[in-house]
Amino acid sequence: MSPAEAGSIGGRQPQAVRSALAVLEVVAAAGVGVTAKEISTELRIPPATTYRLLNLLVAEEYLVRLPDLRGFALGRRAANLAPAPLAIPTAARTVMDALRGRVRWGAHLAGFVGHRIVFLDPDPDHPPADPEELTRHPHATALGRLLLAEHEEHLPHGSLTRLTPATLVDRTELRLRLAEIAQTGVARQCGEFRADYGCLAVGVRAPGDDRLVAGLALTGAAARVATAGDEIVEVLRAHAAELAPLLA
Amino acid sequence: MRGVPVLRARSPVAGLRRRSLGPFGVLAQSVATTAPAGAMAAVPLLVAADAGRDAPWSVAVAAVLVGLVVACIAVFARRMAAAGGLYSFTAKGLGAGGAFACAVSVVVGYGLLVAAALVGASWYARALVERAWADVAGDTTLIGVAVIVVLAGAIAACAVRGIRLAGRVMLVIEGFSIALILTVLVVLAVRSGGSGSAPPVPDSSGFGGVAAGVLPAVAAFIGFDSATALGVEARRPFATVPRAVSVTAVGAALLYLTATVVHLAAPGVLPALTVAGTLGGSGPIALGAWAPLLLDAGIIASFSACTLAALNTLVRVLFSLAREGVAPALLGRTHRRHQTPAAAVAVTVPVLAAAPVVGTLAGVPPQALLGGLLAVSAVGFLAAYLMVCLAAPRFLARIGELTRGVVVVAGVAVPALAAVVVVALVTATGPLLPVVVGALVLAGVVGWFGLRRARPEALAGMGVYDETTTADVHTGSAR
Repeated sequence: MSPAEAGSIGGRQPQAVRSALAVLEVVAAAGVGVTAKEISTELRIPPATTYRLLNLLVAEEYLVRLPDLRGFALGRRAANLAPAPLAIPTAARTVMDALRGRVRWGAHLAGFVGHRIVFLDPDPDHPPADPEELTRHPHATALGRLLLAEHEEHLPHGSLTRLTPATLVDRTELRLRLAEIAQTGVARQCGEFRADYGCLAVGVRAPGDDRLVAGLALTGAAARVATAGDEIVEVLRAHAAELAPLLA
Repeated sequence: MRGVPVLRARSPVAGLRRRSLGPFGVLAQSVATTAPAGAMAAVPLLVAADAGRDAPWSVAVAAVLVGLVVACIAVFARRMAAAGGLYSFTAKGLGAGGAFACAVSVVVGYGLLVAAALVGASWYARALVERAWADVAGDTTLIGVAVIVVLAGAIAACAVRGIRLAGRVMLVIEGFSIALILTVLVVLAVRSGGSGSAPPVPDSSGFGGVAAGVLPAVAAFIGFDSATALGVEARRPFATVPRAVSVTAVGAALLYLTATVVHLAAPGVLPALTVAGTLGGSGPIALGAWAPLLLDAGIIASFSACTLAALNTLVRVLFSLAREGVAPALLGRTHRRHQTPAAAVAVTVPVLAAAPVVGTLAGVPPQALLGGLLAVSAVGFLAAYLMVCLAAPRFLARIGELTRGVVVVAGVAVPALAAVVVVALVTATGPLLPVVVGALVLAGVVGWFGLRRARPEALAGMGVYDETTTADVHTGSAR
């Protein structure tokens, strides 16, 4: 919404905002599949108003309609309101420790929550970059590109920030790179986020539906990343496969 | 609470570039298909021929009718995002029979709209050449054919390259031509001060005249629904698609009303300017040589954007039908890199370009060719709109969200649209239109029974859309 539209709240708008929040709360409490009629009855809001609020919340993606088109559930955007706790099973930590024992790189495990990148298990010996910064500039990072290759809608609008002289800021070229990542499954970045560092990342996918849930990344000197061969990629892939059933 | 429906991991319309198109791209699709720039120059003449000085009333009645259709389309567009547009919506209210009938109507409507717009662009390009180089240009038939072939190739490339690029191209073209035509019209109307060489528009011919004028006025709106086929690709489809449809309808209504009022005030301007007018050609003498050339350029641009936009919608409808198994599976293939229904583009463009090329080479006057194609196309669109309006209240009743307002809207819109279709068929000059429409209806019925025998499960599964998948639902667990 533009600032002009949202400028002032008057008339019956406060009531509408309250009702919209109440609808969100009811859907969260009732669980997946609650219908418009049930919400209207529960909140004693007139049906026509309820339908309008529901359509608005669906349009804003706080709610989703289920495939039968009558039931509702919380959408992914609702996740931003209450971020999930970032705990991973001990078994996953063991896999990460094994990886760190095998390679002389910084090894990090990062989760994707909507468009956000959050570290689930950062390497204590090689602290990674600030996750907020990674989230803001997905075009320049290996983890961000993994996410963009699958969800191009998370690409920031407007011009892409040139963080270093090497940063890829041309959208067409970036799109080609993303298509390549979608094909090979490996994202790479050499000195595009910080001039002297590089990163190599592969996706961790849910075993059932192949959904991208996390990224496994190795960081090191830019020159090392540029010359890293298939061998190291295979090690990464093997550990990502081990992590998959533990995270989904 | 009833059982929770099973969520799929993968959307049934996977293959298109999901959730990537911004609000302007979505709006551009509807605006370009409607091609208000081209229609603005023709509508006042056509409507005034029936309604005389009451022409603005005919346009207003048509706008209200279109508004009712927009309301019914919004019922669906706020709730589901489909690549098949209107027919996918109809499936959710009327079942397989209604969906199939609507699919046939939409394919006929959009297919012939592409062909008609190709003819339109070629016709105005010929007129432009004849005006600009009157002494050297002899027979311009070959120029007309060349325009069709080049334009068809260009829109095929744009359609495969992606909706993003296509949207930007269309918005620029259409905005340019609307501004151009509006400027030319108003400037000339003010300058000529109503003292054109043409006789003034005849007085009102009463209620019957206004009613007769509604048909060409409604026909000028067709295509405003085309953003509904971008449900899968729009970034926030439930917000942007209904908005694009209504903004296009309202904008077109305002432009047509303005053009009609200007025409009544200065009746000499439009006929002298366009080849569609009765005086086509005398314009340069009365008004200076630049205006008709500019107007032609604007109309050519508008027709070109219309071909591209209508093609975009047509291939997505075919893609959706193919994914359901109703159309051949080949049409459901997408381009791997651009993620567009490339196979459908490759199949349809040559067919749609062939008809205008053959017609032009055979010496059919472009005006007749354009009129004929548009008339059949318009009947297809009107039938599809009628079915969506019929489906809206039934759909809402099915999901338990029916309100009185929608019942009233559909109750007015359905008989009104039916009346417009009947008027179109009855008042057509010559038997060609009723015969062609009859043949298409027959082909549709044969196709329906053939499919019901060969692939009943495909018909039962009609109406696929971009369903909520497991990835869209927030379950509260760490991901």
